[in-house]
Amino acid sequence: MSPEGNAAVSLRDETVDGVWRRVHPASPFVRGWVALAAVGYFFGRDAFERVLQGREFVDPNLNSRAPWLLAGGAVLLLLTVGGFILSWYFTRYQVAEGYVRVNTGFLFKQQRQARLDRVQAIDIVQPLLARIFGLAELKFEVADAGESAVRLAYLPLDQAKQLRATILARAAGVVSGPEAAGEEVPEAPEHVVLSVPPGRLIGSLLLSEQTVGILLGAAAAVGVSVLMDNQAIYLALIPAILGIGAAYWSSFNKGYNFTAAISPDGIRLRYGLLDTQAQTLPPGRIQAVMVAQPPIWRIFGWYRMHVNVAGYGAAGTEGAARTMLLPVGLKPDVMRMMSLVLPDPGVDDPERVFTAGLTGLAAGGRSAGPSDDGFVVTPRRARLLAPLGWRRNGFFATRTALLIRSGRWWRTLVVVPHQRTQSMALHQGPLARRFRVADLVLHTTAGPVSPRVFQAGVEQAVELFDQQAARAREARKRQTSEQWLAQVAPQAPEVAAAAQPQLGHSEQFPSPLQQEDRQDG
Amino acid sequence: MPTAAIDPPGVQWLRVSPKYVTVRLVEWAIGNVLLLVVLSLPLLCVLLGWWRWPPLWLAVTVPAVVLVLALWRLVLIPRQVRAIGYAERDDDLLIRRGIFFQRTMVVPYGRMQYVDVAVGPVERSLGLCTLKLHTASAGTNAHLPGLPAEEGARLREQLSARGEARLAGL
Repeated sequence: MSPEGNAAVSLRDETVDGVWRRVHPASPFVRGWVALAAVGYFFGRDAFERVLQGREFVDPNLNSRAPWLLAGGAVLLLLTVGGFILSWYFTRYQVAEGYVRVNTGFLFKQQRQARLDRVQAIDIVQPLLARIFGLAELKFEVADAGESAVRLAYLPLDQAKQLRATILARAAGVVSGPEAAGEEVPEAPEHVVLSVPPGRLIGSLLLSEQTVGILLGAAAAVGVSVLMDNQAIYLALIPAILGIGAAYWSSFNKGYNFTAAISPDGIRLRYGLLDTQAQTLPPGRIQAVMVAQPPIWRIFGWYRMHVNVAGYGAAGTEGAARTMLLPVGLKPDVMRMMSLVLPDPGVDDPERVFTAGLTGLAAGGRSAGPSDDGFVVTPRRARLLAPLGWRRNGFFATRTALLIRSGRWWRTLVVVPHQRTQSMALHQGPLARRFRVADLVLHTTAGPVSPRVFQAGVEQAVELFDQQAARAREARKRQTSEQWLAQVAPQAPEVAAAAQPQLGHSEQFPSPLQQEDRQDG
Repeated sequence: MPTAAIDPPGVQWLRVSPKYVTVRLVEWAIGNVLLLVVLSLPLLCVLLGWWRWPPLWLAVTVPAVVLVLALWRLVLIPRQVRAIGYAERDDDLLIRRGIFFQRTMVVPYGRMQYVDVAVGPVERSLGLCTLKLHTASAGTNAHLPGLPAEEGARLREQLSARGEARLAGL
C-alpha cells in the first residue's frame, strides 16, 4: 500500500479550501473487495486445489481444456479493476464557500452539494478492511431521512478527521472570511464523559428482550417436540440459532468499547469491535431522546438511550443503527448523557425530576391528585383504561423540554426539547372520551423515538397542547441561527469570527481532563 | 359541530366546503360497490345452484355485514365532513377532524417545509382542492381536503408567506 500512501501525502499538502480532491486510490478495492475475491476465487480455486494435491500449478491439459475460460476471467478482472480506477478518478470532492460538493460517475455524472451549516451529524466509519489499511469513510448527514447526503469512501484516517474538523468548524461559523481559507483547522478538544465496560455490555445482551424471546421460543420448541414425539424439529432450529448468534454478535460488535465524549463540536460517540464508528452530533441536532428500561434490566438498574436525529432517518434505513446514544448504562450515565443532550434542563432540581421520570410512580390513593413530583399523570378515573400504566403515564414541561414518561414494566422516558417540536396533535377515541382523557402526540423527525403522552386528563391535555405550542414558539425565537457558535455572539459577527477559533475550540473546556485522542484504536 | 372536548378554547373553526360530501360519496361508492359485487358473487353462485359451498347462511351473512358497515360509513360521511375544521392563528395552523376518533393538530408556520395543493378529478369538477402541509416529520399527516379552489390558493400563499416570515431550521 506504499504507493497509495505517497499519493495521500501529496494530496494532504494542498490547501483544504476550494481545491477539488480525490479519495484514496485504494478505496474502490477496499469497497469492492468482494467482487475481486469472487473473481479470484472462481478462477484461482482450480489451481489452488492442484497445488494442494501436490501437482503442478498450471493445468497440464490447459491447452485442450478451456483457454477461453481463463481469458474470460482475465478480461473480467481487467474490467472490474478498470471500472474501479475510473470510478476513483471521477470521484472528486471539495469543501468551499459553505458547501461540500461531490462529483461522481463517468457515464452518468452526478454533482451533489450540501450546505455545511445544514449538517445534522457527521460520522467517520471504519469497516474492518478499511481499518487494516488505515482508511476511513466520512458520512455527512443532512435532514433528508435515509441515505447519507455525502459519503466519502475512503480517506486516510487523519485526513478524514481533519476534514471533519474543517466541516464542523465552518458549520459552527468559526471560519467565515476568505482570508481564513487554507489554514488548518485544529480538531476540537474533547472530554470523555463515559464508557461502557464490555462485561456490562455482555450482561445487557444476555438479559435483553431478545433473550427472553429466545427462551420462550426454545421452551415452545421443546414442548412441541415432546408433544409430537419428533426429534427432527431440533434440526429445523439450526438456522434460527445461527441467526440469533449473528444478531448477538452484531449487537456486541456495535456496542463494544462504547465511549461518549463532549467537545465544542458536539457529542462524540465511538464504538465498535471490528468495524469502528465515530459519530459527531453537533449541538442542537438531537430532536428527541428516549431512555428505556426493559423489565429484566431493572435488577441491575440499567437503561438504554436512543435519539432521533434528522439525518439518520427512520428504522429500517441505513442510518437506523446509529441512533443509539447509550447501549447500556446506569442511572448516573443516563444523567450525564442527558446533560450533554439537554445542557439546560430548565428545572431547578433536574436530578429529582429525571429520577421521577425514569422510575417514578404516582401514589395510587383516592385522595392523591393527578401529579407526582411535578409529573402530571393519568387521572384516577381512567385507571380501568390503563390498569397498569395510569400511575406511570405522565408528562412534565420544563422551561426547555417536555418530559414524557410511560410504561409500568417497560419504563420509558422521552425528552423533546421545545424548539424541536415540529407539530402536535391531540387524539381522542370513543373510549378515551368516555373516561375524559386524551393522547398528545408530538411529531418529530423520523427515528426510533415517537413521543406520545398517553391518557392525560382532557383539561391537562388541552392546556398542555396550547401551552406547548406557545413554548415551542418562544424557544424557536430564541434559536436564531443554524450556526451554533454564531448563536452565542450574534451582535458582533466580525469580532466573533475573529475571536472564535480559540473560543470554539479550547475555551469551552478550560481544563479538559482528558485530551488524549482515543480515536478508533 | 360535534363534541369538541379536545379543541383548544376560543377557536373559531372554519369549515370545509359542504360540496366535499360529494367527493366522499363518490369515493365511498367506488370502494364499496366494487367490494359488495365481489362479495355477492358466491351468493349468486349458490342461489343459481352452481356451487355447493359455501352454505347459504354464510353466503348471505358476509355481504350483509359488509353492506351494513358500508351504509354506516355512508351515514357518517356528512358528519365527518362537517367535523373537519381549520383555524389560522397568529403563529400556527390548527386542523381538526373526526367524530369518534377525534384529532386536533397544530402545525407552526415556521415548521412548514412545503405546502402542496392537490386536485383530483372529482374535486376538479366541483371546484375543490386538497391542501397538504409537510414538516420535517413524517408524522405530520396534515391534509385539509375539500377547500374551494380560491380558498386553497389563498391559504397556500398565506401559509407560504407566514412560513417564510417565521422560518426556523429543524
